[in-house]
Amino acid sequence: MQTFKRNILAVPILVWIGLLVGIPLVFVFVLSFLSRDSLGNIIVQFTLENYQRVVDPIYLRVFLNSLLLALLTALVTLVIGYPVAYITANLEPKKRAFSIGLIMLPFWISSLLRTYGWMILLGNAGIINNVLLAIGVIDRPVPMMYKFSTTLIGTAYMLVPFMIVAIFNSVDKLDRSLLEASYDLGASKRQTFFNITLPLTIPGIAGGFTLVFIPALGLFYVSDLLGGGNTIFLGNLINTQVTRGRNRPLAAAFSIAMIIVALLVISLYSKVAKDDREGLFQ
Amino acid sequence: MRLKARKFDTFYLSLFFVALYLPVLSVILYSFNASPSTAQWTGFTFDWYRMLFRDRVIVEAFKVSMEVALITSVLSAILGTASAVISMWVTDRMKSAIQGMMILPLLIPEVALGIALLIFFNALRLPFGHLTLVLSHSLFCVPYVYIMVQLRLKEIDRSILESARDLGATTWQTVRTVILPLVIPSIITASLLALAMSLDDVIISTYMSGPKTTTLPVHIFSMMRVGVTPKVNALCTLILVGMFIVVGLSQLFNKKQHKEDL
Amino acid sequence: MKPPLLNLININKYFGDVHVLKDISFTIEQGEFLTLLGPSGCGKTTLLRCIAGLESVHSGDILLNGSSIKGIAPNKRNVNTVFQNYALFPHLNVYDNIAYGPRVKKSMKEAELKERVRDVLDLVQMLGYEKRMPHQLSGGQRQRIAIARALINEPAILLLDEPLGALDLKLRKHMQTELAHLQKKTGTTFVYVTHDQEEALNMSDRIVVIDQGKVQQLGSPRDIYNNPVNLFVTTFIGDRNIMQVEVLETKETHSKVKLGDNIVSIRNPKQHRLESGQAATLAIHMDKMRVSCDETPNALKAEVLSIHYAGSQIRMELKVDDKMITVVEYQKTDCECEIGDLVYVVWEDHGAILLPLEDSGVEREV
Repeated sequence: MQTFKRNILAVPILVWIGLLVGIPLVFVFVLSFLSRDSLGNIIVQFTLENYQRVVDPIYLRVFLNSLLLALLTALVTLVIGYPVAYITANLEPKKRAFSIGLIMLPFWISSLLRTYGWMILLGNAGIINNVLLAIGVIDRPVPMMYKFSTTLIGTAYMLVPFMIVAIFNSVDKLDRSLLEASYDLGASKRQTFFNITLPLTIPGIAGGFTLVFIPALGLFYVSDLLGGGNTIFLGNLINTQVTRGRNRPLAAAFSIAMIIVALLVISLYSKVAKDDREGLFQ
Repeated sequence: MRLKARKFDTFYLSLFFVALYLPVLSVILYSFNASPSTAQWTGFTFDWYRMLFRDRVIVEAFKVSMEVALITSVLSAILGTASAVISMWVTDRMKSAIQGMMILPLLIPEVALGIALLIFFNALRLPFGHLTLVLSHSLFCVPYVYIMVQLRLKEIDRSILESARDLGATTWQTVRTVILPLVIPSIITASLLALAMSLDDVIISTYMSGPKTTTLPVHIFSMMRVGVTPKVNALCTLILVGMFIVVGLSQLFNKKQHKEDL
Repeated sequence: MKPPLLNLININKYFGDVHVLKDISFTIEQGEFLTLLGPSGCGKTTLLRCIAGLESVHSGDILLNGSSIKGIAPNKRNVNTVFQNYALFPHLNVYDNIAYGPRVKKSMKEAELKERVRDVLDLVQMLGYEKRMPHQLSGGQRQRIAIARALINEPAILLLDEPLGALDLKLRKHMQTELAHLQKKTGTTFVYVTHDQEEALNMSDRIVVIDQGKVQQLGSPRDIYNNPVNLFVTTFIGDRNIMQVEVLETKETHSKVKLGDNIVSIRNPKQHRLESGQAATLAIHMDKMRVSCDETPNALKAEVLSIHYAGSQIRMELKVDDKMITVVEYQKTDCECEIGDLVYVVWEDHGAILLPLEDSGVEREV
């Protein structure tokens, strides 16, 4: 009775989130099996057509592009971010706090602004081309915008703080005496890093990977602004189908596919970081 | 050898931070460029800022964004804190249920969540506008408040709560006189973060905006699609300044909290 | 007849499958300083928390002034606790911490409250610290504030959960005296939990020795020290040499026992009867023993194995009939013995006691 009375307070919370997340997801799921008429109106008629289109070569390509982008984003942020996290964790307290501040600050800066910054830097009339022209390295602007790699730069730039924070937390938790023990037993710096530090920070890497990979699947504004629609990604496709194509059932099917990928990544994460169950968002 | 390694560390870190802030600084710098193109610097000007305030659409979108963000952050503060505090008393199973539910919106790709909400609200025939924006934003803001408040609650020694009970406080008095004062800095920091996230959201807002209620980011996005214009630079710079004021405030509360910790 | 202040009747408590309190029954009288003493994990803190209402009991009853408080919430019980880590509210200053109880209960007007806070601060000698925050206080000062915060509510019983555990040795000794003094001055009933036998023996009117969720012995410090009723208490309180002996003949107060070729007369236990021919346990305080060079009646013949001089005390390891014993002497020994010498060990009569042999327990680690 006592526990029942206590638990009942939690019910509104569960209902609230359940209503706003659970039911919409059910809606999307149902919608992904429905058809539409020639005007784009949804008709209640069961079909697998939407899912057939997901594996249609044209759309499959979009799907693979997105997976590739998300994967590369995660790898790039890992390679760039790991040293940043590692170096920061080993700084003296004052510098360390400063460095952490600089890493966290972009969370507070508009993501549109940060994407826009690259437009200004990379455009044909952009800063980088101007500087290179001025010092005579090139004699005509090098096109750098609207490529797959431009989108990659954008998503990696947008998400690298997540990777760093996740790795930093796990490097920070590392028991320093383990590293000292390793040196003491004759291991070099390099050996210590690969034998001790890296394996022990795997949960952080896995966490960072998850936190980067999932949003990278759907940052449509980055690929829109920097990729210019030359490579189509899942996010753009869904977005266009909803806002312009008016094919919501198809968008729903793609959303479901996207959610499934996200869930796969998360389950992979929870396998790798068993002990860190709550770690992902803390 | 050691010194060389440390020099490399500093070099790498500096390089990273330059890359991290160069795009941001470029935006700010060119908001003062007299020429509408980034191709050349033709002099310093405030013209672009002046133009902003005359743009009715931008001012209107800014108002919508601010209203939505303020309501969202207050709502998130209340719901997130309530969830975290209630979690202290429920059974362990209920607690993990709450935790799972809280993390759920953060695990789903934003586009998918946006579509799901669009379809749902459509089916409910809810008018798209402030209401849908606040509901959807609170979905990703409440979890952050919940997580941050919960982290703080975990730091509170259980015996402090027992001691309040022991001295005669009822559960509600304990919440009011001990728990809330101890977590209020976290609540404020978290709701400021919620404010920032709501103000910054593009993806979900794209689907939640109504015909006459467009948020600022959605509007800026459509401006950016057209291309680079210093007006966008000026607008982004202003938002940046506003956000930094918010960060400054949240840091202030963080400092206060650390001072009080035993 | 007036009922006892607190009456514990057959208290049982489980944590899951673990039976942590087993049929605990005893009474606490008005104004006494009672200590719950036992090793960590014995259930003493759980028992204290049951009295405070912070834990529920599964069966049995707790009577305060004759009426049951079993189902009453901790905030409605007229008992207060001083927690091990003091549990001062970090966001409130000293004054507001102390005023917390009366304020949540709305039991006093602010003017009266001010007076009372002054009184209790005076009592714990912390006047002038009203505006300080807890993090600005030392461990000992926080301790005093925690006590003041509890005392202002004028609890029928003040429960103290290892309150000196976090303090360094010197401060702990000082606080022992002060706490005992405070208890006498206020006349408040103290129930004090500790694992430190010295603390218990120094401060208490009565001690309840608890082990494995059971009351092992209840009595005055002197009684517990000199007349342990079982092997646990014997080994837990004081440092004793424990030897197995054979009872030859038992009389009213003393029994003749045999240890190897030694036959000596030892005090009988109070609560048990020994039978001739039985095996029994002989326990003698190490510091109540003395080494003599000359043959003495009622002594154990022993061989000196080692001698350690440690400041004011001399510690000797001796062999008595294949059994190692330790003797601690504080004065210079009567006899200048060396390693390998044959000596005679004698003891003060009240420092030695016989116990019936316990089946289990003998090999138990303490």
